[in-house]
Amino acid sequence: MSEMDTRPDEGTLLDVRNLKTHFATARGVVRAVDGVSFTLERGAALGIVGESGSGKTVLARSIMGLLPPRGVHREGEVFFAGTDLRRLDAKQMRRYWGKQMSMIFQDPMTSLNPLMTIGNQIAEPLRVHLGSDKAEARAVALRLLTDVGIPEPEKRLDQYPHELSGGMRQRAMIAIALACGPTLLFADEPTTALDVTVQAQILELIATQRRDRNMSVILVTHDLGVVAGHTDSIIVMYAGQIVESAPTRSLFRSMRHPYTEALMRSIPQLDQPSHTRLLAIGGRPPDLINPPEGCRFAPRCPYAEERCLQEAPTHQSDTPGHSFACWNPVGSPTWAARQHSTTGSAAT
Amino acid sequence: MRYLLQRLLQLVVVFLIVTFVAMVAIQGASRDPARDLAGPLSSNEERVEQIRQQYHLDRAYPIRYAYWLKNIVTLDLGTSPTNNLEVRTLIGQRAPVTLLLGLYAILFALLIAVPVAVYSAYRRDGPFDRIVSGATFAIVSLPNIILAVLLGYFFATKWRIFTYAASKIWPWDNPVLHVKNFALPTIVLGLGLSAIFVRLLRADLVNTLQSDFIVMARAKGLSPRRILWRHALRSSLFSLMTSVALQFGGILGGAVVVEQIYALPGMGLLLFQAVQTKDLLVVQACAALFALAVVLVNFVVDLLYAVVDPRIRHARALG
Amino acid sequence: MLAVVWLGGLTFLAIFANWLPFVRRYNEFPKGPGARKLVAYRGKPSSDYWFGTDKLGRDTFARCIYAAQKTLVIGAASIVAALVIGGLLGMLAGYFRGWYDRVLTVMFDVLLAFPAIVLALIVVGRFFASGDLNLGLFTMEKRFFGVILVLTVLSIAPLARIVRAQTMSLAQREYVLAARGLGAGNLRVLVREILPNLLPAMFSVAFTGLAVLLVAEGGLAFLGFSVQLPFPTWGFMINEARPDIVKGGGWAVFFPCTMLFLTVLSFNVLGDRVARRFDIREATL
Repeated sequence: MSEMDTRPDEGTLLDVRNLKTHFATARGVVRAVDGVSFTLERGAALGIVGESGSGKTVLARSIMGLLPPRGVHREGEVFFAGTDLRRLDAKQMRRYWGKQMSMIFQDPMTSLNPLMTIGNQIAEPLRVHLGSDKAEARAVALRLLTDVGIPEPEKRLDQYPHELSGGMRQRAMIAIALACGPTLLFADEPTTALDVTVQAQILELIATQRRDRNMSVILVTHDLGVVAGHTDSIIVMYAGQIVESAPTRSLFRSMRHPYTEALMRSIPQLDQPSHTRLLAIGGRPPDLINPPEGCRFAPRCPYAEERCLQEAPTHQSDTPGHSFACWNPVGSPTWAARQHSTTGSAAT
Repeated sequence: MRYLLQRLLQLVVVFLIVTFVAMVAIQGASRDPARDLAGPLSSNEERVEQIRQQYHLDRAYPIRYAYWLKNIVTLDLGTSPTNNLEVRTLIGQRAPVTLLLGLYAILFALLIAVPVAVYSAYRRDGPFDRIVSGATFAIVSLPNIILAVLLGYFFATKWRIFTYAASKIWPWDNPVLHVKNFALPTIVLGLGLSAIFVRLLRADLVNTLQSDFIVMARAKGLSPRRILWRHALRSSLFSLMTSVALQFGGILGGAVVVEQIYALPGMGLLLFQAVQTKDLLVVQACAALFALAVVLVNFVVDLLYAVVDPRIRHARALG
Repeated sequence: MLAVVWLGGLTFLAIFANWLPFVRRYNEFPKGPGARKLVAYRGKPSSDYWFGTDKLGRDTFARCIYAAQKTLVIGAASIVAALVIGGLLGMLAGYFRGWYDRVLTVMFDVLLAFPAIVLALIVVGRFFASGDLNLGLFTMEKRFFGVILVLTVLSIAPLARIVRAQTMSLAQREYVLAARGLGAGNLRVLVREILPNLLPAMFSVAFTGLAVLLVAEGGLAFLGFSVQLPFPTWGFMINEARPDIVKGGGWAVFFPCTMLFLTVLSFNVLGDRVARRFDIREATL
């Protein structure tokens, strides 16, 4: 698809090709990620959206390579700055983790080591990857804490996670992730465990850091609101596959896939009258061990037809950069016809 | 601070109760304590009466206990009729041996258990883990006595590597002989302990390794060794410490058996002999010392909790 | 499973020892002209004497079986008594909390702080040194009773602790709250809701505890503080035969050792299986 750009500050950073991640379980092989491809430019922000079980978290971890050592099967290619990460062993990957790519997790309370000081936890990657000594590391840690907006950073360095508030913990986690100046940051549901007011601050923080460091960001979330203001492009995932991918504005302005539409509809809108019923998406996500033959969303799709159940839709694109996989996308004639006969999916 | 004092008070109370009950049990068991204490002179009525006065054996128990406590503070534990030695001298001679034995056993057990458990948890369900699991299970089921007899047979009798101890030798007197004397008892006590520790630590580590912060540590690019030893192990130390404290009573019990088999002149053997010769004061003193040891160990472990886990430290500081 | 087979066989032999023709009376000395020859220190196993003989010519096999009798009874009696008492106390402490709980916990602490051997040695050594105890229903050796008493008392605290912990977690479950919401009185709740759910844990602990007690009894017997002549238990047999090892009489030591080990192992395995089956968190005794 694209040639690897060797200019350091521009160009494609990440090129994922047909990535599949299968887990061997007692009940069978779970195809958590089943053929995902996309690219990410340096300094750009990508949002990966989907409900729980869609495979978004597994995708993020899969790209990074942070999977359990046994019972996992990966296929496809993951090109990071020209190198196929899939071919590297654990030892080699460790040189990337924390240094060129890092991840922040959902729950800062459980993701931080409760028995180590914040300062030590930030200093750790510095000392391991960059070989800093204690004093250097501490100085850098201090600077990082200030960068992420934690008040009284001097004091915080020697405090333990349980002494900080939820928002501050998340900031600390960001500081840890940014310590060695990575080029790619994964944020796995970074705001889910936080209060609404704090959520916005954290997202702002990530955005600022991205700009200042020219760092790429992958934001994984189930919340469309989170990706709305902070991403350049979005991938919508369902049942381990991408169903729609587009630049953010395009997606919100003219979504094509029924699933995306349903996701949008389920967010309360400020300009709708109060007491408007929220449309929940009926049904349940498909079994990932034996996914259905045709379109995986078909069983729950209000516009589904025979064809949808038989044939898995291929990706099409009518605007550059905006692709989707659906036989009856939003806006097509078949869709319009269905619109009149159904009044939206039933709740619950 | 307040918490510590509270705890200390609790433990002191426990100590008092235990020693009181022990005294009642010990003295109440014999028909005439004074006569027993007279030992070889038990037919001498005068002597018996004298003893009765000396130790207040004609008064009620609480009063006796009060006197006993008072004496303890001044380290006056009475005289043993058996060898006519002061009890405190006897104990002074024997206690260090048992102390040393206990220490060696715990160190030995930890030195083996920790690396084994760490590696087992790391390569969970791998061949090493399975073998270790089976082995520890078998060892835990193996009573001290059998192990002691077996090892004694092979190492001391047949192959003559170690010896059955004759007298206590300090490490600085004669290191080689010291090792020879203490090796077998340490191994017997320590092996059983290490099996228990391994099982416990491994289970705890496996649990810890599934925590979120371990995933985060991986994501930081840290090596497995670092993650295991600096992150996971720290968390699991708790159960290990608790186990050491709990096992302490058992260690003392094991010491009695082991000292008997290998003729190591320690507290255990002393207690054993004293019971047989009806040397009440010695028994009482031993009981008190054991209780003290258990209580102290519990207290120290409690303290260590705060050292290891900052959350507990802060919770306690807040009272 | 193997463990069950072993234990089953052992129990069978133990119960019916007196009636089985091939199990000789334990204190029977070989008689007759050839007797001297048979009584060899080595006492190797032979077709006549399956486990060989001890230094006095008594049949080791028979002695082992009779020892099994004693040991199993001691162990079972102790653990059952401890479960009943400890279980009751633990349940009360865990369910009612508050005042009861605190008092009981202090009591448990005391019991646990008490050096076990001391208690054992004192009680058995002094109280019940010799003679029989007539309890109306049945007489038994004083020592026998003493050992059971000691083992029971020592087991109460750990068992009670475990039961208390389990009760506390059970008491929070919905069905208990539901029952109380329906107006069930405390007693009813305890008996019908909590107790049945405690049973698996109690079984597991019972087996594992039994294993531990057997070891403890072995130790006591070894030191001479358990039932002795003429009905010794394995521990005593081991000690008795110890000097013989040097002279090559290892067999008399080997068999009681093996029997003890296998029995303890079996109980441990059983306890472990029950625990795993019902997914009980490992508790230490």
